[in-house]
Amino acid sequence: MPSPALAPAPTAPAADTADASPVVLRSITQRFGKHTALSDVSLALPAGRIIGLLGRNGAGKTTLLHIAAGLLPPTSGACTTLGTPSGKLDTPQLTRLGLVQQEGRYLEWMTVRQHLDFNASFYPSWDRDLEKRLLEALELDPKRKIVQLSPGDRQKVGILLGTCHRPALLLLDEPISSLDPIVRRRLLDFLLELLRDDGTTVVISSHILNDVEKIVDWVVALEAGELVENSPFDLLQESYAEWTLTSAAGALPPSFAEPFVLQQQSNGHQAVLRVRTTDTEAAARLAAAHRAELRTRPLNLDEMFPLLTDQRRRRS
Amino acid sequence: MPPLLSIDLHNGVPAYRQIMDQIKLQIATGLLPPGSELPSTRALSADIALNPMTISKAYSLLERDGVLERRRGQTLIVRERPAEAQQTARLDPLRQQLTAAAHLAKQLDVPPAQAVKLFRELLDS
Repeated sequence: MPSPALAPAPTAPAADTADASPVVLRSITQRFGKHTALSDVSLALPAGRIIGLLGRNGAGKTTLLHIAAGLLPPTSGACTTLGTPSGKLDTPQLTRLGLVQQEGRYLEWMTVRQHLDFNASFYPSWDRDLEKRLLEALELDPKRKIVQLSPGDRQKVGILLGTCHRPALLLLDEPISSLDPIVRRRLLDFLLELLRDDGTTVVISSHILNDVEKIVDWVVALEAGELVENSPFDLLQESYAEWTLTSAAGALPPSFAEPFVLQQQSNGHQAVLRVRTTDTEAAARLAAAHRAELRTRPLNLDEMFPLLTDQRRRRS
Repeated sequence: MPPLLSIDLHNGVPAYRQIMDQIKLQIATGLLPPGSELPSTRALSADIALNPMTISKAYSLLERDGVLERRRGQTLIVRERPAEAQQTARLDPLRQQLTAAAHLAKQLDVPPAQAVKLFRELLDS
C-alpha cells in the first residue's frame, strides 16, 4: 500500500459530515468526438454554499453538471458525488440529489399536477407544503398540461421536480433564463431558504449575472472546457478593481506592465486600469510612483466576468 | 428595533462589507445604541434576502473588531465602548466621504482654502 500522504485516495471520504465536499472532480476530461468539452478539470465544491457556475456558451457548464449528476460518464478522470463515484449513485443517494436541466424532458401528456404526483411517488422526502408554496411563488397553474406550457412555465416545472424532495445537493442549469424578473427574484429567495433550512448545497449556472450575484457566495468559472476560477465570491470582489490614475503633468506611461493589470487605457493624463490584486497597498504605490491622483472602485460580477474568463488566454 | 439595511449587490463592494459599514454607521449615529440586539443570522438572511454565510461573516468580523459582542449563547448585541472609540467610529464614515471629495477637489484644481470654505458653508447651512 502506498502511503496515503503520497498517493491521493481514489475516492473521497463519505460526504455525510457537514463540511465534506458534495462534488469532487479529479482530472475530468470529457470529449464528444473531436470536441473537448472539459479538459483536465479538478475541483472540490464547498458544502452548504450557493455556487455560481459561470462561463460563456460552450464553456462546459452543462457537461460538468451532467457528470456530477451521473448522467454522463467522463472520458477520463473521476467524479465523486455525495461521497459516491457519480456513475454508481444508487437510489438513496439519488434521492439526495436534485437536477434542474436547461431543457428538461417531461411526460408531456400529463398535467403539472399529475407529473408532480408521479415524481413524488419516487421520493419519501417529497415535501407537499414546499410544492404548494413553490407553485404559488412561481405562479404555475397545476391544472395545465405540460405540452401546452410556455418555455418559462416548463422551466418552473423543472424547478419543482428538481427541488420538492429537498435534495442535499441541487444542481440548476440555467434555471432562470426564461423567468420574468419577479418570479426570478422569488426563486432566488427560495434557494436561499433551502440553504438556511437544510444547508443545501446549490450549484447554479447562469448568464444572468446581475441576478446570481445576489445569492452566490462562491464562484466556479469555466472557459473553453478549462477551470479558470474556483474562489469565494467576496474574495473576488476584493481582488478585482478599477483604478483611475490622473496625472496633472500628463506623465503617465502609454501602458502599464504590472502583472496585476488585466485591462488598460491610458492617454498620458488619465489611465483606467482593471486589476486583480489582493495587495491593498498596490494602488497607492502605483499612484505615488507616477505622481498621480488615484481613485479606485470595485467591480461587479458583470464587469468581472470577461476578466475571469480571459485568464486562460493570459496565462498561455 | 432591528437595523434596516440596504445592500447594493451590484456596486462591487462585498455584501458583508456593506453590512459592516451600515451597522457601524447606525451605531455611530445612535440608531443602534449599546446593548441593542442584532437579529439572528437566519432572520436577517430572510429579511434582506442575502446568503446566511455573508451575514455570519459580517457579524463575526464586527465581533472581532469589538463592535458587537455575544451574550447568553448566541444573541449578538452592540457593545458598550469608551467615548474615544465612539468618537473615532463617528469620524470613520465621514472620512470615507471626504476622501472622495478631496480627490475631486484636487482634480478640479480647487484651492484647499476654497474647498475648506465650501465645507464650512455646508456645515453651517
